[in-house]
Amino acid sequence: MDIRIENLTKAYGDFKAVDNMNLTVGDGQLVGLLGPSGCGKSTTLFMLAGLTEATTGRIFFGDKEVTKVAPEDRGIGLVFQNYALYPHMTVEDNIMFPLINRKVRKDAARQQAYEMAKLVQIENLLKRKPSELSGGQQQRVAIARALVKKPEVLLLDEPLSNLDAKLRVETREEIRRIQQEVGITTIFVTHDQEEAMSISDQIAVMKSGVVQQFDVPQSMYLNPCNRFVATFLGTPEINIIDVEVLGGTIKCGDVVLRTGVDVKNGTYKAGIRPESFTHRENDHKYSVNSVRMIGRDLLLHLDMAGRDVRAITHSGQSITTGDTVEFSVRESSIILFGSDDKVIGKF
Amino acid sequence: MEKKSMKGWLYLLPALIIITVFTLYPLIRAFSMSIMLDYDMIHNTFTGYGLENYQKVLSDKSFHKALGNTTIYAVVVVPCSIILSLLIAAMINGTKKTKGLFQTIYFLPYVTSVIAIGIVWSWIYNSRYGLLNSIISFFGFDPIEWLNKPKYALPALIIFAVWKSMAFNIMVFLAGLQTIPKEIYDAAKVDSTPRWRVFLRITVPGIAPMIVYSYIMGIISAFKVYNEVYSLYGGKAGPADSAITVVYYIWKKFYQSFKYGEAAAAAVILFFIILAFTMVQKLVRKFLSR
Ligand SMILES: Nc1ncnc2c1ncn2[C@@H]1O[C@H](COP(=O)(O)OP(=O)(O)OP(=O)(O)O)[C@@H](O)[C@H]1O
Ligand SMILES: [Mg+2]
Repeated sequence: MDIRIENLTKAYGDFKAVDNMNLTVGDGQLVGLLGPSGCGKSTTLFMLAGLTEATTGRIFFGDKEVTKVAPEDRGIGLVFQNYALYPHMTVEDNIMFPLINRKVRKDAARQQAYEMAKLVQIENLLKRKPSELSGGQQQRVAIARALVKKPEVLLLDEPLSNLDAKLRVETREEIRRIQQEVGITTIFVTHDQEEAMSISDQIAVMKSGVVQQFDVPQSMYLNPCNRFVATFLGTPEINIIDVEVLGGTIKCGDVVLRTGVDVKNGTYKAGIRPESFTHRENDHKYSVNSVRMIGRDLLLHLDMAGRDVRAITHSGQSITTGDTVEFSVRESSIILFGSDDKVIGKF
Repeated sequence: MEKKSMKGWLYLLPALIIITVFTLYPLIRAFSMSIMLDYDMIHNTFTGYGLENYQKVLSDKSFHKALGNTTIYAVVVVPCSIILSLLIAAMINGTKKTKGLFQTIYFLPYVTSVIAIGIVWSWIYNSRYGLLNSIISFFGFDPIEWLNKPKYALPALIIFAVWKSMAFNIMVFLAGLQTIPKEIYDAAKVDSTPRWRVFLRITVPGIAPMIVYSYIMGIISAFKVYNEVYSLYGGKAGPADSAITVVYYIWKKFYQSFKYGEAAAAAVILFFIILAFTMVQKLVRKFLSR
């Protein structure tokens, strides 16, 4: 089932938590809703769930408009940020609960709950209470409970935020596996860009209630539409530096970064990702302010005409603080931003 | 070290003095009084020590009646009050807009003096001009002599007491309801849970500790009922003492019959009954919190 969001707005007084959102999610897709805290992700999700009433705009599930439909009639599964399991019921009762409410017979419900528990690999925990489970296990119970009623849309609100780093990675792969196995249209809210990029078919980046860009992860990373998106995606963060364009030459201070570009003369902000620096003989010499090992790579802090920029290079080389390195910036990886922070082009 | 603990005792001193004067001393005095025979408070004389006071009280029909009434009160008033309070608390908690209005209504009996309310209720119960009887006769039933017939004395007291004790229970339950996360109710909504099942499977288990607390507190205060009786029947325990309670019995022995020893013996018995319930409450809470 595909989801269509048209001009969706949620206002609290004068404040717009979600502002004129338009989005279409294809059938069976997993879309990551990404943005900083307070940008309106949960509000969007709760409007899709029907727990929050939209101020204006419309929501369609398939051909059917559901804007005014009650949550229980929307055919959704919802996983809350804190899981919201029923604390006084066993895991099994938690998973069975939506079925019992739909008047499914008890033995049939128990059977389906067992199968769902098997899918999320908690079938040996069925007799426990939620308080006797780890965060990751609780989260699987929440997913099982959301999926057991065979919803057509699955909504997840930062489901991994309570887990430790390793479990997060494991569980997000798990979610992706289950989602693919069931083939359910899914919206996944997160403020972690890496998480969104690694499991989403498409990502919607939000800021202050407004969707900035909606794209597949790779092209969002390579072709951000504005400075916010460029900065929000990628670790270490993209370098934003002041540059001057004069007669087709992009310069940062006295460092010539590119020649022969077709851009009006003037000063601009430029974005250069740390991994865009590449070693080249006889190019500009940068002095190294500091070196840090981050796993496979080295993170260098370089001096570019008095400004500090981050560059990544593979850790095989022996570079130490105080060295001089010869680097150039890869083709079409300097992103120029206009005065409105929109992207002018890549050079 | 020594100095520090001295300072600690000094801080505790005022509380210790108050407890000694108003709780400990009367308790010891009641115990000693209960085993003094033919004790005369005014001349401070007695004829010896013994358990005759207990014998007299325990074989007194009036005391049995008082215990029986108090027990009925405990098993009818307290559960009724808890169920009604729970429903009302859940209702108030669900509606945001009328919260202020509801708060005024349920809080009223809590802040108004029992005596004043008792007078109002004795008017409500009045067999000729009373509000309750005009409602009853509106539906075609014969009016009931609530306060004059022994048979109706206890039911009248029970209705009054249920209403009166609800304020405290509703407050306790409302505080309990605040501790249940809103997301759990949202989850229940998404799971298409009927309202009665939300109440039984989420709300009630969520505030089970408060329900136990209210129940035990209710029973303990049921054993201490006195004000209610006094005010409803204008200083009597209902027609032919039909609505007598344990504390009323003690009061009567002490101030009307001047049987100080028997009054003290009844008080000591009451003390142990309440002590037993307090222990049970502690045990149940310990069990629930596991
Ligand atoms: N009931 C409300 N009344 C007023 N403002 C609200 C209400 N609910 C949310 N907001 C505001 O709407 C904005 C968006 O909230 P929302 O919960 O959607 O953020 P979010 O993107 O989910 O953030 P987080 O990552 O911290 O969960 C916030 O600024 C919040 O303060
Ligand atoms: Mg949120």
